[in-house]
Amino acid sequence: MSEDQPRVLTASVHDFRYFAALLRGVNFANRASVSITPDGFTVTVEEARCLTATAFVFSHVFDEFVYNPDAARPSQRSQPEDDDDELTATAFEIPLGTLMDCLNIFGTAGLAPGTSQKKKKSQADGDDSDGGRGSGRAGGKGKGRADADDVSGNARLDQWFAPGKGTGMRMSYAGPGHPLTLLVAEESGGPTATCEITTWDPEPRLELAFDSDAVVLKIILKSSWLRDALSEIDPSTEKLTIIGNPPPPPGRAARSSAPPCFRLKAVGQFGSTEMDYPNDREVLETCECAHPVAFTYKFSHITRALRALQSSLKASLRIDDEGLLSLQFMMPAPRRPGRRSQAFIEFWCLPLDE
Amino acid sequence: MRAITYSRGCDSTRLARCEKKGIVEVVAVPLRSPLANRPAMRFRATIENVDTFAKIVQSVEKLQKRCIIRFGEHEMRIICTGDVNEGGIQVWSLAKKGEKSVLSFEITGLTATGRNISVVQHILIDVLRHSEVERLKEPMCPEPDVHILLPPLGKLRTVVERLRPLAGEGVIFRANLSGELQLAVNTDNARVEVGWSGLANPAMSCGDKAKVASQGEDDSDAKDPTQMHGVLVSHKCLLKFLNSHVISSTTIACNVADAGGVLTYYIPAKFDDGM
Repeated sequence: MSEDQPRVLTASVHDFRYFAALLRGVNFANRASVSITPDGFTVTVEEARCLTATAFVFSHVFDEFVYNPDAARPSQRSQPEDDDDELTATAFEIPLGTLMDCLNIFGTAGLAPGTSQKKKKSQADGDDSDGGRGSGRAGGKGKGRADADDVSGNARLDQWFAPGKGTGMRMSYAGPGHPLTLLVAEESGGPTATCEITTWDPEPRLELAFDSDAVVLKIILKSSWLRDALSEIDPSTEKLTIIGNPPPPPGRAARSSAPPCFRLKAVGQFGSTEMDYPNDREVLETCECAHPVAFTYKFSHITRALRALQSSLKASLRIDDEGLLSLQFMMPAPRRPGRRSQAFIEFWCLPLDE
Repeated sequence: MRAITYSRGCDSTRLARCEKKGIVEVVAVPLRSPLANRPAMRFRATIENVDTFAKIVQSVEKLQKRCIIRFGEHEMRIICTGDVNEGGIQVWSLAKKGEKSVLSFEITGLTATGRNISVVQHILIDVLRHSEVERLKEPMCPEPDVHILLPPLGKLRTVVERLRPLAGEGVIFRANLSGELQLAVNTDNARVEVGWSGLANPAMSCGDKAKVASQGEDDSDAKDPTQMHGVLVSHKCLLKFLNSHVISSTTIACNVADAGGVLTYYIPAKFDDGM
């Protein structure tokens, strides 16, 4: 492929760990559809026709982001009546796992080693001890645990901005029928990897339309609160029920007998687990619920969000009146001057029929 | 003196465990003979540089759990059939022929409190027959097209490990005489090429030098310094070799493109301290 050829997309960044963290959040199915717009691109995967996840990668994640939708289709420029969206969005499918493997070719796309080890350790602790569930639950509410999370959270943020440690990347796409070309260079003078990743024509995707006007439960909380709860649930669990109750009216002290605002109930082979989140501003930043609601989801689908939970700061959990679950994960903002919009990952999951 | 070669199958795991600070004495003795009487031994050697010996054995262990040790008059060769790993360690002396077969290690070292400690380990071995020894042939190594010094093996191993899901049939290992090395893999999903540059192309054997010297006259034989010579190697084998890199951080690989395609490694070990 000649260098002079016009490219639909050219994007480069000197440290792609932030980009990799965004992609990792949705890296649970190999086939992903990518849709490029002038503002950036989205990467969407789906599973079993009832779970979709999208990473929103805005152009400011990159040092350089040049999108030229006309590069690949000069013939269509004679059709100005085309819908604007049609013209400005370019879509294709890629093997996402392969893209991640390519990015990680020098072993530099991962989280800081300390962070991942810490997570593994805490998971192992939960699995090893019989009382792990109960004590973990109590600990999860404790103040000490919250401080520890803040520390590890900061460590996670720092590793994206640690100076001089990043691996640079340049990505380009020449249009339909061309591979996605990825250039990865660890350091100047070091090895470089040139990857050509096969792309396919886009196929129709599952559209899960979340009805924002019919939200029956809305919770915003720190990602770590949700991550810890999900990690402690036995992996053999099949179903997870999300239960919401209206918060007690303000001004009245919450009685211990009052139903919890937010409860996760897991039912598996070895019994059931219930985890309650207190209606405390330190735990639930927002809790909106008009009537008691309960919807059940496949647990293995919910756990697909664990990677995104791990790298995100806050999670917003919403359920509409049909039971469609929307999970939005706010990623830490890349520290770039003058840019404020934050990258995020969104999951949509259909409930189980009961 | 007759150069007798005895070879035996020997458990390299146990050998590897014999790493101790101090001096190791290796003797081959008949089984059940009291060691104190110093029975007839086929060979005896004292290893001064135990660290290096332990590292070599560790490296070999990574490749194969059982190895063949071939004792010569002046050297001992550790052989893994399939791959040949040579450790020309030092001058070895031959002892008299015995009936049975242990390799015993007398290890003297210091305890934590500073006292001398002596450990004797007997490792059961199988002695190979002469006819079997005859069949042990060093692999044919055609005159290589390229000698190239590999990048730090730890880094190379990281890359090769990461290539595993991307390597379909194997890894294409390419190098040229301008210090460039490329690893390339192909699958339906991706084509990946990892390149290093600025590596050294060392001049190797005397024969090679002679060849280089004669190149000036024979233009048709002159090598284009930018031409890549490549071989396709099994990903598993490449990784296995890279896992045995405890002994040294640099390695020379030579690439043969034409005659069948053989990738050979020379592992330069540091034998410079008085050996």
